[in-house]
Amino acid sequence: MSHSHEAHETAKTWADEPVAATAQSRKDAQGSLFALLNGKFGVTLDPLDSWGLTVVVEKAKLRELMLFLRDDQACLFTTLMDITAVDCLNWPGHEGPRFSVVYILRSLTHISNRMRVKVWVEEDDLDVPSIHDIWKIANWQERETFDQYGIQFVGHPNLKRLLNHHEFVGHPLRKDYPAQRRQKLSMNDPMLDQMEARLKAQGYTILDSIPETSPQVEDVLKGGN
Amino acid sequence: MKTLTPDGEKLDLFTVNIGPSHPATHGALRSFVALDGEVVVAAVGEIGYLHRGFEKMVEQGTYQQVLPYTDRLNYCSAILNNIGFCKAVESMFQVGVPERATVLRVLLSELSRVIDHLVCVAAAMNDVGAQTAYFYFYNPREKVYAIWEKLSGARLTNTFSRIGGLYRDTYQGFEEDVRIVIEDIEKAILEGLGMIEHNRIFVDRTRDVGIVSAETAISYGWTGPCLRASGVNRDLRKDEPYFGYETYDFETVIGTTGDTYDRLMCRIYESLESLKICRQALARLKPGPVDSDDVRLRQPSHEAAYHDMEALIGRFKLVYEGVRPPTGEHFDSIEAANGELGFFIVSDGTGNPYKIKVRPPCFTQYAAFHEIIEGGMISDAVISLSSINIIAGELDR
Repeated sequence: MSHSHEAHETAKTWADEPVAATAQSRKDAQGSLFALLNGKFGVTLDPLDSWGLTVVVEKAKLRELMLFLRDDQACLFTTLMDITAVDCLNWPGHEGPRFSVVYILRSLTHISNRMRVKVWVEEDDLDVPSIHDIWKIANWQERETFDQYGIQFVGHPNLKRLLNHHEFVGHPLRKDYPAQRRQKLSMNDPMLDQMEARLKAQGYTILDSIPETSPQVEDVLKGGN
Repeated sequence: MKTLTPDGEKLDLFTVNIGPSHPATHGALRSFVALDGEVVVAAVGEIGYLHRGFEKMVEQGTYQQVLPYTDRLNYCSAILNNIGFCKAVESMFQVGVPERATVLRVLLSELSRVIDHLVCVAAAMNDVGAQTAYFYFYNPREKVYAIWEKLSGARLTNTFSRIGGLYRDTYQGFEEDVRIVIEDIEKAILEGLGMIEHNRIFVDRTRDVGIVSAETAISYGWTGPCLRASGVNRDLRKDEPYFGYETYDFETVIGTTGDTYDRLMCRIYESLESLKICRQALARLKPGPVDSDDVRLRQPSHEAAYHDMEALIGRFKLVYEGVRPPTGEHFDSIEAANGELGFFIVSDGTGNPYKIKVRPPCFTQYAAFHEIIEGGMISDAVISLSSINIIAGELDR
């Protein structure tokens, strides 16, 4: 690009090309972000991440932290890249909660800002506050994490399985789920509940729901309904 | 379904499934829509029809054994996935690959990006009935697949990159083949573009259809050409350069309104920019090793193994134990054809990955699909879907 360096400095709109991140700028950003978040939310550094910045936060402060990360002028983490969980069941010498939920964040404004946020989740208390209203993509990412690990995102409007079949039993990415286990799954998901919720969200009133028709396989083969 | 509209009028909505098996969904995607005549009033999406447990299966083997699985993520540009995964593992060791491997990776990445974009654009042409333009965009890919076949023996699932290098060096005459293919593709793109860019029918079908604002796109976590079509000038190759992308001369292509037309045009013009990078990479290609000599990553050659005890042990250890990245959690990404393809790798220090999570770019795009099509016609939904280029392989993993 033929932009001058001065043009980079004044990049204000989305159409402007940002200043590229360097190893040093990332390091600086990580240092100042941690100092800021540590002071405000009491986050701690995750020793497992020796390449970038991962902070561990208490569940109770998660939503507040995420809102701050999205909106604060020094943070502006515009993009939630992914949500996933780690099952520490087989982790050598692991003590403490079994699961951690990891939020991968990136800023499109401050290019050097990249970080992860981690919350620890006990096996007998799988609740984590949902952040579906902070980033729209969190809705599906939380559904996937629930599907694969069984983490309960409290406040999620529709915490259904996403990748696995709705009749699936168990959470396949947990370490105690055998990779070779087979399950027989047959019925379609009619998705009428989701459709009605979507219509209601747009201001429609449902007068007459259509009945869910789930024909039995045998009936279909015989030609009946 | 009998409903009352927000204005209090009675409205009988007709519900219908688009997909999962429908030619226009280009794979197994299901969109359940409520229709008022031909207008989509509400839509909900369902995915997972191609879910095959990528993340579970990769935990069963070594890091090298993950590579063939990555081919099946975005099978339109398999080499890009290979390279993305290898780069993620290499970055855990904080080592790079030799100069020739880096330049070859750039060259192969950009060629992959071009054919990925061509598939997307060609399929979109097919969906709006522009059959001629379809063939102009679709055919030149064949010549790239011929190069892939000569390089790796496979057309689609190439598994060409390796952790710490490449599967092997190129064949004799590779440069000439690439030179010809660049010319052919450029000619085909310009001809195809001439057919559609100012074509009244095409413009009417795609202009102001499926508009996504920059704010919506960002909230849905969009990256790559779809985000750029909404006017956001962000490209990992420019913002966080890897493989020396900062030294190549190319421009990012951005749109203005974020409609279907912008998304398709961004892909077409981006292909032309990628060809520019290919030419520069070709000029930089100098003979040299393609594999790192770091025995933690890449096994020593047979020749070395026959003459050197250490090399023999290195081969043995790498095959039996696999690559062993340092303990920890790491996220690394590349600019793939659809956007930012990330790998979140958790290593417990052994040769088997403890966990690998893929961050597929088109997941975010399909999550927004219902918002894109609501309020439009069914036929607009079809072309909107083509323009966001959903590849079920990486969507469902």
